[in-house]
Amino acid sequence: MAIRCVVVTPERTELDKEADFVALPMFDGELGVQGGRAPMIGRLGYGVLRLQTTAGPQRFFVDGGFAQVESDVVNVLTARAIPVDLLNTDEATKSLAEALEMPSETPEQSQIKETAVLRARGQLRASR
Amino acid sequence: MANARALDKRRKSIRNIRKITRTMELIATARYKKAMDRAAAATAYTDQITKIVSQLADAGTDVQHPLLEQREKIRSSRVLVLASNRGLCGGYNASILRTAMPHIKQVKDEIANVTVDVSGKRGVNGLKFRGINTDNKYLQFEDQPAYDEVEKIANDYLAQYITGKIDRLDVIYTKFISTSKQIPMIETLLPLGSLGGDAEGSGPGAGSDENSQYEFLPSAESILEEVVPTSFKVKLFKCFLDSAVSEQVARMIAMKGATESAGDMIKQLSMTYNRARQSQITGEIMEIIGGVEALGG
Repeated sequence: MAIRCVVVTPERTELDKEADFVALPMFDGELGVQGGRAPMIGRLGYGVLRLQTTAGPQRFFVDGGFAQVESDVVNVLTARAIPVDLLNTDEATKSLAEALEMPSETPEQSQIKETAVLRARGQLRASR
Repeated sequence: MANARALDKRRKSIRNIRKITRTMELIATARYKKAMDRAAAATAYTDQITKIVSQLADAGTDVQHPLLEQREKIRSSRVLVLASNRGLCGGYNASILRTAMPHIKQVKDEIANVTVDVSGKRGVNGLKFRGINTDNKYLQFEDQPAYDEVEKIANDYLAQYITGKIDRLDVIYTKFISTSKQIPMIETLLPLGSLGGDAEGSGPGAGSDENSQYEFLPSAESILEEVVPTSFKVKLFKCFLDSAVSEQVARMIAMKGATESAGDMIKQLSMTYNRARQSQITGEIMEIIGGVEALGG
């Protein structure tokens, strides 16, 4: 049973496709969605969104956000969805180094740093 | 009577100006359509966010977040003014500055520590002229503000707010209501106030038949933690988009007016020019006739 996967960013609708299987990079691990899944709203982490379509697999890096599954439609809301091929390993390594340099003296600062590090790690992993 | 040659020269130069304003009008129209499409795309995103929030609220989650709460003591505040990089857009920049000035003064009276950020060259110069020091100047935003750029600014503000460097953020921008109406607005984005915003009315009705059956992963609280900053970012992005659209509309209308008045002017000048030419010819004929008569007599 095919499911529809819609990826929306604030700038435009990045993707609207039928897929057999969608793997969402959730905040706490990957989650696979097939047809007939129960309705769900989830928080996305920084990782790779995988689609299994009839034309072959597709991979996107998503930058946080939310996923909503309802009656065989997967809505992905994210700030950025970049096809994995377009990611640059050097850039990701650099942003990870930058994130690791951030100050973490107060709880708030360390939280901001943690998010930045998570984000950079996700990007690096996706770019490889 | 005016010199026919000088009149003709003026008419030519006005014709050239009309060509330019006409082209600018066409360009602004094209850009306005593009900017409008982007704004519509952003609406799809905000609608989804609103839906999620309303479903969270329906599921009985207590919608509370540090970004939503008014701070008791406001020690420092920031004001962001969104103007344009280019001129020739009618009263667009003037009306933004006219709204911004009293607001900045008022905030400065209330709060000791106020910093002003500004986007757009016209805004930078306008505030400088009015004797207001600006901190951050963003000049990279044209007719299509990129989300990446806006997000960077939003993240800066969020970090400053969370770490307590600022307690309030006001944005002064031009809200786009329709092609014939754009109004300068002052909006307090931090603290956010309410999440639902203006879409509150439509949100619950749309998904009410199936909600509260949703599974929240990992938990409703965790999702809320992410929804609030995201909705701030999107709101800020929307401000930038609205400003961009309004700027193009303002330019379109201003250039349309300019083209029209150039046309009127050319008409007027043509008439004066023709009269001047005619009277010159008449004068010359009179002279010749006078000369002939003098010879004959």
